Amino acid sequence: MSEATIRRKTLVDYRITAAKCEGCGASYFPPKSFCNVEGRSSKMRHVDYFESVGTLFTGTVIRKATSRFGHLSPFLAGIISFDDGKIKVPGRITDQVPPDGEVDVSEFIGRGVVPRFRRLYANGGYGVVSYSSLNFSLVDDYYCHFPQKRQGNEVHKKSRPGIVGYGVYLPKFRVRNDDSSASGGVRERTVPFQDEDTTTFAVEAGRRALIHAGVRSREVKKCFLGSESTPYAVKPSMSTVCQALELGEKYEDGFISGGVDSQFACKAATDLFIDAAALVAYPTFGGSNVMVIGSDNSQAAPHDALDSTVGAGAAAYVFGERGVIATLDHYAPYTSDTADFYRRDGEKYPRHGGRFTGKPAYFKHVTSAIRNVLKESGLCPGDFAYAVNHSPNARYPLMAALEMGFQKDQVEPGLVVEQIGNLYSASCPTALAAVLDIAKPGERILATSYGSGAGSDSYVFTATDLILEKRPGTIRVRDQVDSPKRQYVDYGTYRAWKDMS
Amino acid sequence: MVRLKPLAAIVGVGRTEFGEHWYENPEKLMVRAGLEAIGSVEKGLRRSSIQSCYFGSFLYQVTNQLGLLPGYMSRELGINVPMSTTEAACGSGGAALYNACIGVRSGQHDLVLVGGFEKMSDASAHVLDDLMLAADPHEFDAGYTFSGLYAAIMTRYLYQYGRGDRRCSEALAQVACKNHHHALNNPYAQFRREITVDQVMSSPLIADPIRLLHCSPISDGAVALILTSRELAKSYTDTPVYVVASQQATDDVSLSNRESVTSIRATALATRAAAEEAAVTIESLRLAEVHDCFTIEELLFLEDSGLYKRGEAWRGMYQSYESFKGSRHIPYEGPTGELIVNPGGGLKADGHPVGATGVRQAYECFKQLRGEAGSNQVSVDGDLNAAICHNVGGTGGICTVHILARDLA
Repeated sequence: MSEATIRRKTLVDYRITAAKCEGCGASYFPPKSFCNVEGRSSKMRHVDYFESVGTLFTGTVIRKATSRFGHLSPFLAGIISFDDGKIKVPGRITDQVPPDGEVDVSEFIGRGVVPRFRRLYANGGYGVVSYSSLNFSLVDDYYCHFPQKRQGNEVHKKSRPGIVGYGVYLPKFRVRNDDSSASGGVRERTVPFQDEDTTTFAVEAGRRALIHAGVRSREVKKCFLGSESTPYAVKPSMSTVCQALELGEKYEDGFISGGVDSQFACKAATDLFIDAAALVAYPTFGGSNVMVIGSDNSQAAPHDALDSTVGAGAAAYVFGERGVIATLDHYAPYTSDTADFYRRDGEKYPRHGGRFTGKPAYFKHVTSAIRNVLKESGLCPGDFAYAVNHSPNARYPLMAALEMGFQKDQVEPGLVVEQIGNLYSASCPTALAAVLDIAKPGERILATSYGSGAGSDSYVFTATDLILEKRPGTIRVRDQVDSPKRQYVDYGTYRAWKDMS
Repeated sequence: MVRLKPLAAIVGVGRTEFGEHWYENPEKLMVRAGLEAIGSVEKGLRRSSIQSCYFGSFLYQVTNQLGLLPGYMSRELGINVPMSTTEAACGSGGAALYNACIGVRSGQHDLVLVGGFEKMSDASAHVLDDLMLAADPHEFDAGYTFSGLYAAIMTRYLYQYGRGDRRCSEALAQVACKNHHHALNNPYAQFRREITVDQVMSSPLIADPIRLLHCSPISDGAVALILTSRELAKSYTDTPVYVVASQQATDDVSLSNRESVTSIRATALATRAAAEEAAVTIESLRLAEVHDCFTIEELLFLEDSGLYKRGEAWRGMYQSYESFKGSRHIPYEGPTGELIVNPGGGLKADGHPVGATGVRQAYECFKQLRGEAGSNQVSVDGDLNAAICHNVGGTGGICTVHILARDLA
């Protein structure tokens, strides 16, 4: 498929954009310029179903798929009805593996389904990756569906910049480690479905962050996407996120917003927290909010030590000055040229220095950053309710915190790594989200990342009164971690799915 | 009684066997059928008398990497007359015949060759992908195959009208058995063997609830007709078969965009228009060539044409099949008489070289109406004088309906 064709498809497929006649309400997908009923003088308006709940009208289980979908079969394909049947669209039901034997698809008719931004296909390893939101998950499946509640934050007074909202996305599938003592206490890990990648995680986390923040998409003028596993070596994934979430004021068929993909191993996202907070306070920035997303389908070579710790997922943060749930109070970075974990251009999997990645790399940088942030802030470990560290396994973040004088109970609430694995760029941001999910107003949180190569960022956040007000709009990390709808796959499936994205 | 003023007349026909033709190029298949059609004209016809050719084919550009079909056919037929190719997916053949009728009735041409062909076996590895060119790209992106789209129709039909009654599923399997039974004495058919309802219902799942034996096959083949004006017909044969209605209707390419997925609007529109044009009622007809690419499509025709009430065809089909006692063709028993559908096996058993199908339907009716179907000749109560051909493209984006008659009132 040509680049031009794909560009035109994004405008329709990313948000399920249809045209609606302002006269009679008739709707058309894909959109057209006039209404068949009202005639050529009819006024048409674009509407989208990106946030809507549809119902399954009919469907089938595709057993023998076209070449581009062969890796997914068997799967359920449906016709989805929106707006009481005003619009019907074809769509694939994702995150479902049909059982062996004939499926009575009529049992699914009438079930609610929600659009999911997922990968369709790419031309081999070199072509443009096609994405679409015409993939659906059952509304009562793993995902919660939140109605749109983006009233904006104008009603709130300006405060010190900080986190206005956040969203975490952890895939539904998990793989168990037979022996968690061999994997630093990681018992199970998140596994991407075959149509997921770093970009699709980022879109889902970003969408959740916007909903939680109560921020309108147009108010986000910049988006940073930190990752070490984006599908492209050259071409930002941030622009895909921007197009799918419509970040920034719309201008022609693009948006008045900027951003960049950043790379610094596992601290690619946290590095930009301070920049995001600074930007929203910059007098001529011209936007209210900045989004920072950490997203990774964490890479590991088969049977490498990392292969028993890597997970997949994304955490997105919206920064601003109004509606802040946690102010960003202090920041201390630390950097040195320490090559403990790296991946050369063109290589599929990262390499690492084994035990070298411990003391001289992780611990040295994490503790240096913490020491400096404590010094700068004049705070001591006892002043914090929670301390979260980058979590390559369940042992390191605890050991580093204990070494700095923190207690186990300050660290444990953020130790979700035991059940999701190392999310690389999303690791520290997800641990932070897990404690923001439970933090009370006035409580302090210390969050320290680590990125190989090497560096750490240590941040001090303080929860505000608004954290309770906004809490009903979160899909909590623990709820995803412990979801009864999560589904386990075996090692072979985990490997195959992971390498697909 | 049928219309007094026919649009055109068929005076000769020819076809290849349907199946796998590993040793012939598509244009060679087409010319083989064309030469047979020319040779079949009883009072003689020279190639040089053909004034124009109308071809129907779907995937020749993609599957066979051919373009400019008129150039190929000019070379193969050795003539230099105007030629055109119509692409309307599985409805390409019917659409070519429709265009040829326009050419003849307009007076532009007196004698034309109509050809339909497809050579699918050359690319069986990607034929699933190629067939999806007849669907909306969003249907492709949802992972659908063609059988998948018809499976979505069948799912909805079973849900809405079958309501868990196993006889509805069985009726949809019986269609395949009936059409296989009809092909036993068709020397050109791809499958000349009986299948049972149990075999259909335990064959491999393709797209639930569609199983392998609900589907028409991947086929190679070509069919040709010689079409002339009513006035000239008798100078070529004493027993021409007249085209008394030629109608076409279109609809949204996407199944999901249609008002209903359990009826094909283009079929209803074209069938009604054809009946009006020929001044016949569908109920009065005793023979039909119906587009049974998947068995559910044969069922939908029976409802869309008005022969059965919406949601009730399966009952009639089931009862007809269960009560059948004869040995040859299995008719549907309607309130006003019997209708034999797909006497040569239809797409299911005769085969479905996509672009050839619409022309093959007219071929079959020509043979049956002239009493030349040999051991596969149908027998009906009274004189068999008219038949209907129903050819669908995609999942109903286009439908062409022709009514043919031997004797004019």
